Amino acid sequence: MIITRKAISRRTILRGLGSVLALPLLDSMTPAFAATQKTAVNRFGVVYVPNGMIMENYLPKAEGAAWELTPTLQALQPFRDQLLILSGLNSLASPGRPGGAHAKATTRFLTDVSPPTSETWLDAGISMDQILANEIGKRTQVASLELAIESGETAGACDTGFACPYTNTICWKSANTPLATENNPRVVFERLFGDSGSTDAKTRLTRLHQQRSVLDSVGEELKRLEGTLPSGDRTKLTEYFDAVRDIEQRIQIAEEQNNRDLPVVAHPAGIPANWEDHVRLMFDLETIAFQCDLTRVITMMIGHEHSGMTYPQIGVPDAHHPISHHQKEPEKIAKVAKINQYHMKMFAYFLDKLRATPDGDGTLLDHMTLMYGAGIADSNAHSVYNIPIMLAGGGAGNLKGGRHIPFKDMPLANLHLTLLDQFGVHWDRLGDSTGPIDSRILSLA
Amino acid sequence: MAQPNTRLGIAAASLLLTIGGGAELWLRADQSPAPASRTSTAVKPVTPKPVIAEPVSLATLRPVLDRYCVGCHNNKAKTAGLELDSLMTAPVGKNAETWEKVARKLRTQEMPPPGMPRPDQTAYLRANALLEAALESAAIAAPHPGRVAVHRLNRVEYVNAVRDLLDVRVDGTALLTADDVNQEGFDNIASILSVSPALLQNYLSAARTVSRLAIGDTAIVPAIETYKISKALVQDDRMGEDLPFGSQGGTAIRHRFPLDAEYSFKVLLRRQEYDYLVGMGEPHQIEIRLDGALLKRISVGGEAKGMTTPESYGGNTQGGPEFEFYMHNADATLEVRGPVTAGEHVVGISFLRRFWEPEGILQPPQTGFARSTNEYYHGNPDVEFVYIGGPYGHVSPGNPASRQKIFLCSPRNTAEEEPCARRILSTLAKRAYRRPLTEADIQTVLRFYREGRTGGDFDAGIREGLERILAAPSFLFRVEHQPAGLAPGAVYAVNDVDLASRLSFFLWSSIPDDPLLDLAVAGKLHEPAVLDQQVRRMLRDSRSDALVNGFVNRWLELNKLAGVVPDTELYSEFDENLRDAMAQETRLFVKNELREDHSVASLLTANYTYLNERLAKHYGIPDIYGSHFRRVTLPEGVRGGLLGQASVLTVTSYPNRTSVAIRGRWLLANILGSPPPAPPANIPPLPEAAANGGPKSLRERMSIHRQNAVCAGCHRRMDPLGFALENFDADGKWRKEADGVPVDASAALPDGTQFDGVIGLRELLASHQEDFARTLTEKLIAYALGRGVEYTDEPTVRGIARDAGVNGYRWSSVLAGIAKSAPFRTAAAGGEPPKIARK
Repeated sequence: MIITRKAISRRTILRGLGSVLALPLLDSMTPAFAATQKTAVNRFGVVYVPNGMIMENYLPKAEGAAWELTPTLQALQPFRDQLLILSGLNSLASPGRPGGAHAKATTRFLTDVSPPTSETWLDAGISMDQILANEIGKRTQVASLELAIESGETAGACDTGFACPYTNTICWKSANTPLATENNPRVVFERLFGDSGSTDAKTRLTRLHQQRSVLDSVGEELKRLEGTLPSGDRTKLTEYFDAVRDIEQRIQIAEEQNNRDLPVVAHPAGIPANWEDHVRLMFDLETIAFQCDLTRVITMMIGHEHSGMTYPQIGVPDAHHPISHHQKEPEKIAKVAKINQYHMKMFAYFLDKLRATPDGDGTLLDHMTLMYGAGIADSNAHSVYNIPIMLAGGGAGNLKGGRHIPFKDMPLANLHLTLLDQFGVHWDRLGDSTGPIDSRILSLA
Repeated sequence: MAQPNTRLGIAAASLLLTIGGGAELWLRADQSPAPASRTSTAVKPVTPKPVIAEPVSLATLRPVLDRYCVGCHNNKAKTAGLELDSLMTAPVGKNAETWEKVARKLRTQEMPPPGMPRPDQTAYLRANALLEAALESAAIAAPHPGRVAVHRLNRVEYVNAVRDLLDVRVDGTALLTADDVNQEGFDNIASILSVSPALLQNYLSAARTVSRLAIGDTAIVPAIETYKISKALVQDDRMGEDLPFGSQGGTAIRHRFPLDAEYSFKVLLRRQEYDYLVGMGEPHQIEIRLDGALLKRISVGGEAKGMTTPESYGGNTQGGPEFEFYMHNADATLEVRGPVTAGEHVVGISFLRRFWEPEGILQPPQTGFARSTNEYYHGNPDVEFVYIGGPYGHVSPGNPASRQKIFLCSPRNTAEEEPCARRILSTLAKRAYRRPLTEADIQTVLRFYREGRTGGDFDAGIREGLERILAAPSFLFRVEHQPAGLAPGAVYAVNDVDLASRLSFFLWSSIPDDPLLDLAVAGKLHEPAVLDQQVRRMLRDSRSDALVNGFVNRWLELNKLAGVVPDTELYSEFDENLRDAMAQETRLFVKNELREDHSVASLLTANYTYLNERLAKHYGIPDIYGSHFRRVTLPEGVRGGLLGQASVLTVTSYPNRTSVAIRGRWLLANILGSPPPAPPANIPPLPEAAANGGPKSLRERMSIHRQNAVCAGCHRRMDPLGFALENFDADGKWRKEADGVPVDASAALPDGTQFDGVIGLRELLASHQEDFARTLTEKLIAYALGRGVEYTDEPTVRGIARDAGVNGYRWSSVLAGIAKSAPFRTAAAGGEPPKIARK
């Protein structure tokens, strides 16, 4: 989906035609193209997969740098150096809140709080992506994006006795506020790029100039109007003026940006009919959002817990959740493993895009902390011990990949605390955490 | 008598000079009573309180205040910081804010506190009447019409304005962010409607989107719009008036098609929790219709092969691969593509009704988790998603209503283009800006027309011009003209053109139409007969339905209904159909009350309502079938009026139980106009119904708080009102028992007045219809002006309510009273500092 454009000649820029992917015109943001910054920016991404994984096909047996590429991990071979396989992480139930294996898997993933058994009462905890968004999201146009491939119901009951948000989102703005996920690429595009129709520079610039001409004219009209008003009534118009100025400044900044390789995504019509196209398009949008520094926090749910997605294109016409309860039948296990592999292949596509995108002195992947994983291990037994978690990317120097690091009965939230620390966000306790993992284990610094 | 009358005359005359005729309202006192109310249930005859038509000095109040109040509220004890003895020595107008509070305490008889000597009923009424009359005299002598800040169009007004200007209906929630509301829940309060860069960006984008929709842009790229139907909406019946008889399930969507072109329609059916399609056991015929005409009928279901899934469909055990695949993908073929003309059309999706029931044991309706997991293999499928995609293929702008409205001319050659553009755009701009245009206005818009024309065709030029109009401050802001040379605070009459906007945004939440604006431009609107005639005309117009959604729903807090989540274990039959029906009942009822111009008190006392089968079942009313609503006369008094409507009863309850305090507060604040203050911090929770030993009934538990002095002050006023409604469960169902004991709905007010149940409460409230009318007027004037009500408005509010009482408190009298009132027709000149500081 992403077409890399050749750099446009300097003369073109001077003529003011070919400027960069111009900044969208939304909330307060600083003109922070990562490339123009002295120190590399670290971004945070999550890719969540539903219904656990077949662990023997996923988890390498060897530890340290010598870990073997298991069948499920095959597709990640090119990124081996930037992968950290973390084992021994648990997501046990919070005291007094048992049951709801799938609701718990999702809800706990970033909050480390188990949901109460209720179809109406919403009570988890703030999720770590939102803690980050509250801090580093201040510097970007969009604080965070919560994406998904499947549409999630936010009303009614889903897992036995549990309200639907518990199985359908991993993001919680606060203990009582689950965030709905967005699965329509068109909506995501419009949120990031407004009404310009394409991320193509020329198209965007034409639209920007048109908007500026409206704004200039509106400014003149306002000045005429202001003169007729008693001073006490001018406040609202002053607010309008401030808004006009704010937007004009952004247009100016956008026009002054140096030109770079531009990924072009045309205004998507909606959700592509083909699942793979859908996933790729969403990853393209993630890449472009990170690249343009429109946001630094994005979560993506490949599926929600209990997902009954079928994958006939890889020879698995069976629904995902039912078959994940494989009852140890080899044929079913093989099919689930195929789904795990397939998801991993899509993840590899994403990593490839990130690595192909230059960013400062490296690539986007160098300046990313990506967490990939599931909220349970083997879905057949709803196992919450040793759940599959990987980190990908260089974390802007915070992650040294190429290793399998085993932990022993470590709460998943301890990892979250460490990652938050790496982003300069100190958080004493998250859900059932017992204290951060030593950051040096991840960075080897 | 003579002298005071003269003084009043002078005051009134001077006011007339300033504001041109708004003052007669305060002087009318002796009209003959109106004909009996047309309301079907008895409303007690109107007995307007005698207006004391002489300026009243505080001296006349002295005996009663000295006797009952000054004992605590004096310059030594200073109880509650109030020194009535000192205040009585100054003119009432100097301390109007405090005196207004005193008047309210006297009216509601909240003071003196129980246990202290209190005046008798007559003395209370007399004291209150005297004080209010004194305040009114002071207000006439020194009017304070207040000043409304520059007003930004809120989302509702924007959408309505676009509809009236261009004949285009847009979804405001997709274009603009939600507006902030004030503490009473109104979203049109000028000082709160702020502007931010994000909002400005929204307006710019909206201007582009709307102008492209209205005119058509053949360059637009195809888009797929998604319509989602909640899984909790039961689709066992005909789902709307726009769907065929004999259909069941599905939905009717009003969709705007941007161009004459081909469009695709794709339907996905409801999946249960584990993504199994619902109702695939037998074939079903699904129909996709456009404006009622069949586009395609497709059979879905009944073709599953292979080993089935166990009947639980619990997701843990699967059937054969073929079966599994079918059960997850059988709806992949529900798609049709065809040509559609530009404009708004109704897309109908529905199933042919089955006239047989599956064999076997009839299952009870399932709810909550059971409903979300059960596959209902032999049940009815539901529609969950409708995708409308396009435009595809050959496209052209076509001739939708919006283009017919916009293109007043079409140029036959290049020379005709600019004059035609001028005619089109200046007509639009005049309506959008709600005033005559200046040449500068026209030139600005034409400049954008020319830019667009240069890069495209005539349509493109008009589109750019329209985009500029929709981004104009003159459109987005309501800025009123103030005559030059006025000292800050000087009262002036709002000019006719601004008055037209005040009227249209009040009654229609939209821009004035041509007749209204023409009268304003001709300088006739302020004439009392013209104004009156226009108000009545506007109320007859369907645009005045905006009062129901904009005002009534927010005043009565009914907009909260959308967010109510009853406890599914206790109220397991609550579904989206019931929620919709509740809202629809009240909407239709209030709309009809307004249309038939009943007494406002009839909102509480009417003996009819609007029901469909779902709601009638909920109420236990027999013989009402089908999903459409019809007017139903209620034989017994339980369900009459708002107090018997499930919408009101549900928004005043907790998810898992009723609350006498919430219902009591709702009645005090919204009906009687005497809201209790906010509760203190650190309230301990009410004990749950105890299994043994502890308090069992809600009444016993609630009695705890009336024993506690801190709680008692408010709860002795709130709780009795709420107790009378205890026969209504938290979802508005009638009940005779709660928590295992029979409901006792008898109650007594602090003054000893006894009443029983909803019927008793309704009679009690009907006897307070003047309080009700005043409360309504106070809320309505805030909504009409788009500003908070100040103590300086209280005399006006009382005057409007009193005058409306002469007319049986008809809606039209209240609304016209507001339109003719001084705060609506006049303003205090701006300047710094603001003339009236709040509190």
